[in-house]
Amino acid sequence: MIKLAIYGKGGIGKSTVCANLAFCLAQAGRRVLQIGCDPKADSTIALRGGERLLSVLEGMRQKGLSLAADDVLRVGAGGVLCAETGGPVPGMGCAGRGIAAALEFLEKQDVCGRFGIDTVLYDVLGDVVCGGFAVPMRKGFARHVLIVTSGESMAVYAAANIAMAVRNFRGRGYAVMGGFVVNRRDVPDEDERVNTLAADFDAPVLAEMERSSAVQDAERLGRTVTEAFPDSPVAGQFRALADAVRTRFAAEGE
Amino acid sequence: MRNTACSIPTYASDTSGVCSALYELGGMTVVHDSSGCNSTYSTFDEPRWYDRESLIFITGLTEAEAIFGREDRLLDDVAAAAAEFSPAFIALCGSPMPFILGTDYAALAGELEERCGLPVLGLPTTGIRTYLSGADLAWTALLQRFCDDVRPASAVTINILGATPLDLGLNGSVDSMKAFFEGRGITVNACLAMGGSLAELRRLGAAAANLVVASSGIGPALYLKRRFGTPFVAGQPIGLFAEDVLAALVRAAESGTDMSPCSAHHGGEGDILVAGEAVAAASLACALERETGRACRVFCPLGRGGEALAAGDVLLDAEDEERAAELFAGAGAIVADPLYRPVCPKGTPFLPLGHVAFSGRCHLGTIPDMTARPLAEAFDLSFGKSHGGKA
Repeated sequence: MIKLAIYGKGGIGKSTVCANLAFCLAQAGRRVLQIGCDPKADSTIALRGGERLLSVLEGMRQKGLSLAADDVLRVGAGGVLCAETGGPVPGMGCAGRGIAAALEFLEKQDVCGRFGIDTVLYDVLGDVVCGGFAVPMRKGFARHVLIVTSGESMAVYAAANIAMAVRNFRGRGYAVMGGFVVNRRDVPDEDERVNTLAADFDAPVLAEMERSSAVQDAERLGRTVTEAFPDSPVAGQFRALADAVRTRFAAEGE
Repeated sequence: MRNTACSIPTYASDTSGVCSALYELGGMTVVHDSSGCNSTYSTFDEPRWYDRESLIFITGLTEAEAIFGREDRLLDDVAAAAAEFSPAFIALCGSPMPFILGTDYAALAGELEERCGLPVLGLPTTGIRTYLSGADLAWTALLQRFCDDVRPASAVTINILGATPLDLGLNGSVDSMKAFFEGRGITVNACLAMGGSLAELRRLGAAAANLVVASSGIGPALYLKRRFGTPFVAGQPIGLFAEDVLAALVRAAESGTDMSPCSAHHGGEGDILVAGEAVAAASLACALERETGRACRVFCPLGRGGEALAAGDVLLDAEDEERAAELFAGAGAIVADPLYRPVCPKGTPFLPLGHVAFSGRCHLGTIPDMTARPLAEAFDLSFGKSHGGKA
């Protein structure tokens, strides 16, 4: 069983990495569930041709106790099973509590067992700003944390904060650091900065994605770049990430 | 349903259920909540508090600790208290604020266990579920940790499961149940958990059948069934219905089949409406039918205990005053906690029966021990008096 939580600074490309990784893993024969853990509920949009899902929390609001997993799960590109936790509108409510409640709902519905899922990807909003956003890395959820970063100072800073949180949870049986994924912004000394970060936390750099307009072109089509432009260099880099993930994490629990 | 309770109280929460379930078992119960809230769980909801000591503590959660997620002081304080009092185990549970913060009780329990060298249960109560779910959670977790691998020595040995003052009051009914069964040649192996102990809990596997006297006991009963194959019977041995419970226990022990004699009441369009916890209310409905000849139905707003109910009884997943009022309006007579009176129609005969989980200690002294004695000895079954509720 592969269970990854993907974190990183807001806007760094977590959802892009997650959706492309999900698609590549599905292409390689894995049964993948991608759960967007963000009130915006747009993590899986490139796997669904631009179509939004009914989020778990919106489903709970509408249907209360009668909500079922089938109401909030949809199959996306490559057969990836898609779900979004959703959350409150900006400035209202408690997004962290919302993520916790939504993930607990999906857990109780035994989605993995019912759908034969062997790979779960949690695409988590920005920093680990409160307890609710740490739920995807708790025992029973993700086993490994991937952090998406570039060489930009703020991205490295956010990545280091998240890695510190993972380190602080040692002893609780939480997910451990799985590695970093570089989404290049072509800033000076980008390799050196990222390599220093990885060395500081004794974690590998699993893959590097070049800056490519093909990614945006695919997103305009409502698709992942690995589906829309499989022959592009960046699609190959995503496949390399999927290979690294399978090699490193698939053996556990199987 | 709007889930409102304007004129009536709400039932005790899951946090109180944990405290009540574990009160006599020799552990230390720690509630993660603000200072002062121990009054809610241990004095308002716990009638044993003034007569019998139990290690129940509040973490004293502050605003700053909530904001900064400072769980280190909690761990330090619990470890210090455990070193001072040497409990048999620690149970860490929560309240609404830590629930919203996403506190990970299982992880905290793991850290505490390593630090204290004691069994620690992490019980994720929220303060917004019912006491039945809290008691069920606490007992089931405790059984998983402490139950010994023992088997029944005799086919006439039973356990009593689900006994807390929140449902039974403090009127000696547990002792009366034990005396009733012992008098009929049935040994009571253990009681979970009024009058019980951790030593009793360890040997729960040694019974041939389990008697569930409140729906908080259903989770433990299901656990014992999975692990030991022990069947369970749902029902309280009250009034003349006690003989039915006895017979069901004997049949369950012989056949290995679960039984629910209390679901044999009329249900549906029954004339007398009994409101409250499912097993207690259904058992009372059966006992009332025996002595009054009037058909009874049950209304349980606690979302648990469907096993105990008859077809046409009403089980709600949430407390709702408006729905309660609708149901009471159609009843020929009502049996309920006195604090339900404001939502009962004026003129409908009302038999008051206190329920600690609903009215705390307000009516504690008036809750009769109904075990295996005619209800007419405790109540005016003519239902002749109406109450002063509003129209």
